[in-house]
Amino acid sequence: MNALSKLIAVEAKLFLREPVSLFFVFALPLGLMLVFGLPQRGASGADAGQHGELTFLPALALALTIGMLALFTLPMALGIYRERRVLRRLATTPVNPALLLVAQVVVNLVMGVAGAVVTAIGVRFLLDQPAPANVPAFVLAFLLGVACLFAVGLLIAALAPSARAAQSIGPALFFPLLFLAGAWLPRDQMPTVLARIGDYSPLGATVDTLAAAWAGDSPAWPQLLALAVTAVAGSVLATRFFRWE
Amino acid sequence: MPVIEVEHLHKRYGDKIAVDDVSFTVDQGEIFGVLGPNGAGKTTTVECVQGLRRADGGTVRVLGLDPVRDRTEVRQRVGAQLQESQLPDKLRVREALDLYRSFYRNRADIDELLDDLGLATQRDTAFHKLSGGQKQRLSVALALVGRPEIAILDELTTGLDPQGRRDTWDLVERIRDRGVTVVLVTHFMEEAERLCDRLAIIDTGRVVAIDTPSGLLSRVGTEHRVHFRPLDPVDDALLAALPEVTGVRRSGDEVTVTGPEQVLQTVLSALAEQKVRYAGLRVEQPTLDDAFVSLTGRAARATTPPSTDERSS
Repeated sequence: MNALSKLIAVEAKLFLREPVSLFFVFALPLGLMLVFGLPQRGASGADAGQHGELTFLPALALALTIGMLALFTLPMALGIYRERRVLRRLATTPVNPALLLVAQVVVNLVMGVAGAVVTAIGVRFLLDQPAPANVPAFVLAFLLGVACLFAVGLLIAALAPSARAAQSIGPALFFPLLFLAGAWLPRDQMPTVLARIGDYSPLGATVDTLAAAWAGDSPAWPQLLALAVTAVAGSVLATRFFRWE
Repeated sequence: MPVIEVEHLHKRYGDKIAVDDVSFTVDQGEIFGVLGPNGAGKTTTVECVQGLRRADGGTVRVLGLDPVRDRTEVRQRVGAQLQESQLPDKLRVREALDLYRSFYRNRADIDELLDDLGLATQRDTAFHKLSGGQKQRLSVALALVGRPEIAILDELTTGLDPQGRRDTWDLVERIRDRGVTVVLVTHFMEEAERLCDRLAIIDTGRVVAIDTPSGLLSRVGTEHRVHFRPLDPVDDALLAALPEVTGVRRSGDEVTVTGPEQVLQTVLSALAEQKVRYAGLRVEQPTLDDAFVSLTGRAARATTPPSTDERSS
């Protein structure tokens, strides 16, 4: 096996040995769906706005899965690797330490996809929700959402002065993003300016485009574009500012 | 034959000079010590040798290669143990070795390595459950897993208890017996004295001396100190008048006589002749600590092992 596949295999093993991250990916989104989704069934009328859309909640659950991996797990893991001089140690071997970053991203992506599939299946059968109707658009929205959120996570990893800092910056960013996405207050009840910011915020745009595709509509192009732009900008900045030690 | 050649190495961080002017060569098969107080520039020097940092001046050759330009080749052939480098908590010993082994062209046998380093029973233990000494040995094992020609070991025994330190010293000798050239970075004199064939003393970014441990000792003279507590009255002037004696001092009821190696014989005969009984006889020989002090003009914090939270730069 070559170095990269070996690194990915080892990182995957380490991920699976962390009960907390497994809980984040596989249990929490589904749990939230069941807690909030069941009482909502039947109660949602035409007057409920954003929260009344049947696909809002499952889209939010998927965005939550990706968001937690991208903003909690990934920056913390990379922060720890820098702090414990694992990256430095790797630099003394013939292998480029950037491969460890690649392996981390790959493992978190795969776990994100797995978590999304589990959540989607859970939604489909436990909440009797139809499967995503516009599959190509759904896949596109999912990929762009993942790219955007992971880029933000990598930027946190690059800029956070320590693993501890990364551990608090992630949530400190995650909850406002969740708010902007309309998790608590539906965006149609927010002040207009806030709602427009929410529309193009990483989680907001991810939730909207996923929800639209799930319902069989076409996602809004400006929102897809916003995700793509954030993904590229975040990755470029993260690469520029990443410190190896 | 030199495997490492460093000539007039110069390295600065901003306007802080980390290494001013360092030159030395390391011969194949020797244990070469790089010794100096914290902040002397030891770690920066070996980081330039490993190609982890680019020198601002001078040349560095490792196995005839440029460690920056030919970094991949140099890293295939030079194993490194970094100070304070850790592994992920839940990574197991065998997995770590298996992973690092996959990075190299020449791969050591993992079971043999585990046996050699006394880690055979810890093969399935997670990193965070290892003791300090076991972590250190694993770190050395990772440095050897690519069958390197040179092993660079930085502050190997920092934070280990005395037993752990002695075990690690035996280990370093076994590494050399495998034909690996060892570069040992330390600020711990006893370690250098015990292990190194030759050593370079670095202070404030410059090489103060390069020699064998005994060569360094002979530079500071061969002054021995004989301490004893006379139980009968003895005249200091009489002791001072003995041939070879260079000094007599009294502190409390203890007398200290200094002189070359034979001074012990002289003092003991004189005491016997005068029928002076004595107790608490002790002879102090010059140590590498003394050599260090006389070469750098200040003390190395060297006789006690430092705690783990200290690091040199």
